Amino acid sequence: MAAPTAARGTRLPPEEIGYLVAGPGRAAETALARLLDAGLVRVSRDGLVSAVHETELGTLTAVETFILVHLRKAARFDAVVRNAAKSQEMRTLHQQLRARRLTREARPRLAVWWVFLAFGVLLGLLALLEPWTLFGAVAFLGVGFWTYGAKPLTRAGRAALKGVTASDRVLAVALEGFRGRIGNQSAGELFGLPQSVVKMLPRKRKKRTGNRGGAGAAGCGSGCGSSSCGTSSSCSSGGSSCGGGSSCGGGGGGGD
Amino acid sequence: MAGIKDLGVGIGWRSEIDLTVERLPGVDFVEVVAENLHIGHLPESVTLLLERGVPVLPHAVSLSLGSADQVDLHRVEHLGAVAEAVGAPMVSDHVCFVRAGGLDSGHLMPVPRTKDALDVLVANVKLAQRNLPVPLALENVAALLEWPDGELSEGQFLAELVERTDCWLLVDVANLYANARNIGTDPERFLDEIPLERLAYVHVAGGEQHGDIYHDTHAHAVLPQVLEVLDELCSRVAPPGVLLERDDNYPSDTEIASELAAIRAVVDKHRG
Amino acid sequence: MAEIVEENDLSSARERLASRQAELLNALLANGPAPAGFDEQRLGVERRALLSKRRGIVRMLGPAVADELGDRFRPLFDAYAADHPRRAGSRAREDAAAFAEWCRACGELPEKLKARWKFWQSN
Repeated sequence: MAAPTAARGTRLPPEEIGYLVAGPGRAAETALARLLDAGLVRVSRDGLVSAVHETELGTLTAVETFILVHLRKAARFDAVVRNAAKSQEMRTLHQQLRARRLTREARPRLAVWWVFLAFGVLLGLLALLEPWTLFGAVAFLGVGFWTYGAKPLTRAGRAALKGVTASDRVLAVALEGFRGRIGNQSAGELFGLPQSVVKMLPRKRKKRTGNRGGAGAAGCGSGCGSSSCGTSSSCSSGGSSCGGGSSCGGGGGGGD
Repeated sequence: MAGIKDLGVGIGWRSEIDLTVERLPGVDFVEVVAENLHIGHLPESVTLLLERGVPVLPHAVSLSLGSADQVDLHRVEHLGAVAEAVGAPMVSDHVCFVRAGGLDSGHLMPVPRTKDALDVLVANVKLAQRNLPVPLALENVAALLEWPDGELSEGQFLAELVERTDCWLLVDVANLYANARNIGTDPERFLDEIPLERLAYVHVAGGEQHGDIYHDTHAHAVLPQVLEVLDELCSRVAPPGVLLERDDNYPSDTEIASELAAIRAVVDKHRG
Repeated sequence: MAEIVEENDLSSARERLASRQAELLNALLANGPAPAGFDEQRLGVERRALLSKRRGIVRMLGPAVADELGDRFRPLFDAYAADHPRRAGSRAREDAAAFAEWCRACGELPEKLKARWKFWQSN
């Protein structure tokens, strides 16, 4: 499936970029975008996606194959994205990204993490007088580190996204989603999709204040069907929302 | 007839391929299945095509004008209302029966080519015409079986129908090909016998050979042999319009575009 | 006067045509006897073509039922269709619903499928 060399410098496939930017929902959107781009599926004005009949399929990813197989009967645009995001194939993709150390188990940040840090530092200073408190300092600093949380993207994952731009319409969807904007039009419009269809997808969650993820590096928004955001992730949508209180970014690289 | 001249090359509008129809190059007119439209809320795509000035012709499949029963005037009324909603110069249905004896075949069945059937058909067509705001064109259907004791050839039957009702003809060259394969109709004789000056437009569609039967599926590619029948027709008359019908297993935009181009090439060959 | 004669002629023509058309559809749709003069083999071809078209429409309108039945869909539908030809004036959706109901009555489909079908649709 994914080119093994991708992690070593060459660009990742769009679907993986989509996953790293905003999770399985976005990866599903990207897979659908690629199928549209290749003319293998079509969308009607009322938002029904159908497989194009008798075409050379070319090389497909597992998620793309999943989508096509399930399009024996036309399905709604949003349902196609949601079902692909929740598919076993998407979980496999998630595991592959984990195995290649582009993502990791994310931990939500505890609001009071700094209290542990403060205690740790305090005990550390106290250790100058009472050496046994060093154990307490280490313990508190450890808990502080843990409750600080972890973003789902590893350093390698962030590096893989560096320099990726919306140079074609599939990448535009990977980075911004069908609802996202590229210049003055939505990425969906690049595929000739009417707004009524694009708006079937859930709205991108606005970047929350205090979210430190920069553009393209916020990483792995939605936890739909997989667990990149730990137990706090919600599965409310196929888009890019993430469970409350997590550190895994507002999803979607915060374009708008 | 004013308004029906030079429709060009068109395609059957279907909701599944609405965006494709909108962006395909060389779609001069479209046809909508009247039974699928609701007056008052036309599909956005149809409205958009109308705004662009693309003629939209309603095509009915359920009038069952060849039925022994009286015509269902509600269906005629709906067809007329669709015609008015899209500002169509003409509407059409088929020379066939759909319902009989309280049953619905779900299909366009051939009528026996007898005097009885012709008398009934003529009466039904006249009643429909009186209740329609625009002229009516009638299409030849594809038959898998032949009624016994036919008194007229298919061409003669249609010629009589035009003579007695002043209706227009919608010639489906794929159905003509199907009948040639399946029940031995001679397409050239058919074309010789029908009044070509009453030709409204032409249908082209794809199908599939299954054993010794050709099925007019509208879900497969157009056979070159069907284009040959179109070629034969065009050698006799310049058809005001030719329309591609595709109802299922829609291929890629490129493939649809190339089928339209192939049709246009045949039509253009005879215009010089 | 001539008009009345014409009207009478027409109504007797309608009657004769009605019985022939009804006889043909009865043979094609409801396993009725083959009308005289028709090619038996072609009647079979037409019967299968009409059945296949109807089956395709019901499959399209009720994919959940078709999926649930799997390989049984075709033989079950064909058995249902011959006993329940579509009545004039009925809708294809009613046909699909009646088939699902028939399957449930025969014990071929569990009752719960209905609820799941709704869930699927609302999703």
